[in-house]
Amino acid sequence: MTGRRVVVTGLGLVTPLGVGVARNWEAMLAGESGVGPITRFDASTMGVRIAAEVRPLPDVPEDATVPHLGIHSRFALVAGREAWADAGLDGSRLERDRVGVFLGSGKGISELEWLVEAVRASRARGDATDFAAFLRAGLETFLPQRRSEEDYAMSGAHLAAGLGARGPNWVCITACAAGNHALGEAYEAILRGEADAALAGGTHSQIDLMSLSGYTSLGALSARNEAPAKASRPFDRRRDGFILGEGAGIVVLEEREHARRRGARVRAEMVGYGNTADCYRVTDPRPDGLGAENAMRRALADAGLAPGDIGYINAHGTSTQQNDRMESDAIKRIFGGRGEAPPVSSTKSMIGHLIAAAGAVEAIACIRALETQTLPPTINYENPDPDCDLDYVPREARAASFEHAMNNSFGFGGQNIVTVFRRSAG
Amino acid sequence: MGRVVVTGFGAVAPNGLDAESFWKATVEGRSGVAPIESFDVGGFPVRVAGEVRGFDARAYVSNPKSLKVMGKNIRFGVAAAHMAMENAGLKDAPPDPTRFGVTMGSGIVPTDIEEIGDAVVASLDEAGKFDIRRFGEEGQKRLFPLWLLKHLPNMVAAHISILHNAQGPNNTITTACSASTQAIGEAFRILARGDADVMLAGGSDSRIDPLSLVAYTLLGAVSVAPRPPEKVSRPFDRDRDGFVLGEGAAVVVLETEEHARRRGAGILAEVVGYGSSFDAYGITKPEPEGRGAAQAMERTLRDARMAPAEIDYISAHGTSTLLNDKMETLAVKTVFGEAARKVPLSSIKSMIGHLIGAAGAVEFLVSVLAIRDGVIPPTINLEHPDPDCDLDYVPNAARRLRVRAALSNSFGFGGQNAALIVREYAP
Repeated sequence: MTGRRVVVTGLGLVTPLGVGVARNWEAMLAGESGVGPITRFDASTMGVRIAAEVRPLPDVPEDATVPHLGIHSRFALVAGREAWADAGLDGSRLERDRVGVFLGSGKGISELEWLVEAVRASRARGDATDFAAFLRAGLETFLPQRRSEEDYAMSGAHLAAGLGARGPNWVCITACAAGNHALGEAYEAILRGEADAALAGGTHSQIDLMSLSGYTSLGALSARNEAPAKASRPFDRRRDGFILGEGAGIVVLEEREHARRRGARVRAEMVGYGNTADCYRVTDPRPDGLGAENAMRRALADAGLAPGDIGYINAHGTSTQQNDRMESDAIKRIFGGRGEAPPVSSTKSMIGHLIAAAGAVEAIACIRALETQTLPPTINYENPDPDCDLDYVPREARAASFEHAMNNSFGFGGQNIVTVFRRSAG
Repeated sequence: MGRVVVTGFGAVAPNGLDAESFWKATVEGRSGVAPIESFDVGGFPVRVAGEVRGFDARAYVSNPKSLKVMGKNIRFGVAAAHMAMENAGLKDAPPDPTRFGVTMGSGIVPTDIEEIGDAVVASLDEAGKFDIRRFGEEGQKRLFPLWLLKHLPNMVAAHISILHNAQGPNNTITTACSASTQAIGEAFRILARGDADVMLAGGSDSRIDPLSLVAYTLLGAVSVAPRPPEKVSRPFDRDRDGFVLGEGAAVVVLETEEHARRRGAGILAEVVGYGSSFDAYGITKPEPEGRGAAQAMERTLRDARMAPAEIDYISAHGTSTLLNDKMETLAVKTVFGEAARKVPLSSIKSMIGHLIGAAGAVEFLVSVLAIRDGVIPPTINLEHPDPDCDLDYVPNAARRLRVRAALSNSFGFGGQNAALIVREYAP
């Protein structure tokens, strides 16, 4: 389908900084932190007791009809409806057969609390597991709808049902890259003509006991429990792991002529997408950053841009030693060192790591940066690291004049996704 | 847009530990459904499943450390990918790593109740209640430190990419029962738009575990019929009453026609259409008229630029639930009109059960092999016609037929539908 182009016409956000794009952008420019002590469950004996929670959890109309709605579906519905309204589509007669849903979506392992009765029954007679006893107890204690609502796919189903979107419906989980991945595949689907518009983005929460325990034992999280707001410090020499965050970022992507015909406000154009795999280890990013570098190069080539055209990079910047060094190296190989490379910042310093939602929330930060010509800061960047020597927009937002922003997302397991956005002419 | 062809395949299924064994059994109508052996079900109402038996992942993964972080679903997927690479002749002549990617369908990975048993026991207070503080102090120490790695669905595609050095596009799709159909569809798109030369695409899943068994039973989705195991899954039969859980994996090698011809690969078939849709109806029930399902098929036909009459075989979703099979029949009639009576469709779920995130990939493979061998596998256990299901389901015995083009359907639990069309390859 030659001549088709993809624009962004609506934005929606739920993050630890609050509900709504306006509230979030204000907080990001002010350098606020959404990290604090965990309140969702008693984490007092856990090694890591801090996270970036969404508080309070927003209500949705589905609460009246869907028992046990998953937290990923809840976030998706709130951010999706905001994006839909922002795009001027509330009450519209848009052909819903041509509206797709593309979500990176994840759900933590929250089943422990409702499994525990049955597991206990399975161990009533000592060390061996009595499976039949588990099954018997499970029949008495499980709430099956709860289990089915936890399925990854349910967020995409609820969002599409809520807005009547009957186009392609697709849910992926490429760990920390999934939200950005969903934007990329929605962009391709619209370019190809499979849909005229799509709700695309990510939604996730892994702030649950089992996920917290699992990431802690992998050594991935910062345990700076005494100073939560200081714990996420991407690119700072004293960074020591990421902070679990939660929420959703969803945008309305639309074919440009389609948006123009209905008089929609174009907030940015999506112009590039690159997708690669590290092929290193399932637990660590490739130290040479080759996968990340190739994803950035692919996205640039797809956009038909040169490195010098990029005026801002929203980094994956997780605040782990390995990621931030690897990412800085990969950026330098493409864009040059300090002075040549564009400013790079990590909004994870404020909201933590939203895993499958992270890339989509960060895409919205790129789009707002393009619209307002202002770069969100990397807060807590205080101690320069010789291995990370780029301009990370430390601590304070900054005005800038630029036309293109790049959004990096690198998934746990080695999936790398990069997208590129262009400033709208208005 | 470049053409995309199938050049290799691998599978691990309840009725065969490799693709050719699976295919032979399926054509012969041999069921892989049997009493559950991997754990004791006692007097539980559901006692049968399509389990993979006698499978040893060590044949495919040499590093024992890697095996420790691979649950059943990952092992099946890694094995199927390994066999697909060999089958396509790529094992010893690997493609350019940056032009070689992986897309897999997968799903929620159930908690291993044996694995968490010690942690739960160590977290109980004096009254025997779970105490979250004790979990932090004692319980969590009893967990395998890397257990989380087994629970991330994207790990199947991650392991496959690492084992075969596939540095190109990598994705894991989790759209419930449509996941692996979408994974193959996405690989098809990636190749057609020129973002890779070769893709490993498919799905792997296992829901045969105590936790999933209870959950699906309580949802009323699985059959509790007191029948001989091989008789329980009976798609389109009047007496069908729910699906049977299955497990396994299928992976195909998709390749641009140009790349396949350049390396002299044997071309099995061409992928020509893909489409997906959403019911926008009740979340846990299919739309009764099959509107969403029909849309997925229509979009796929349009994508392939084919008319319904050109389809010689439909590899049905056919789960053996009352609702799905009736709805799918209606949807086929909607799309095919008069031609619906002439096109044979069959459900191999009658023999292997429902592989959830892997189902679509296995059924796509069946479509490819039906084209290769000119034979359509049967729907077994179709003994009592249902007036609501009155099409040609290839009952009980395989049929020899030249298949020039086949349509493979997948309809997800949440209303997410997808379909693929594969065709005889003609240069």
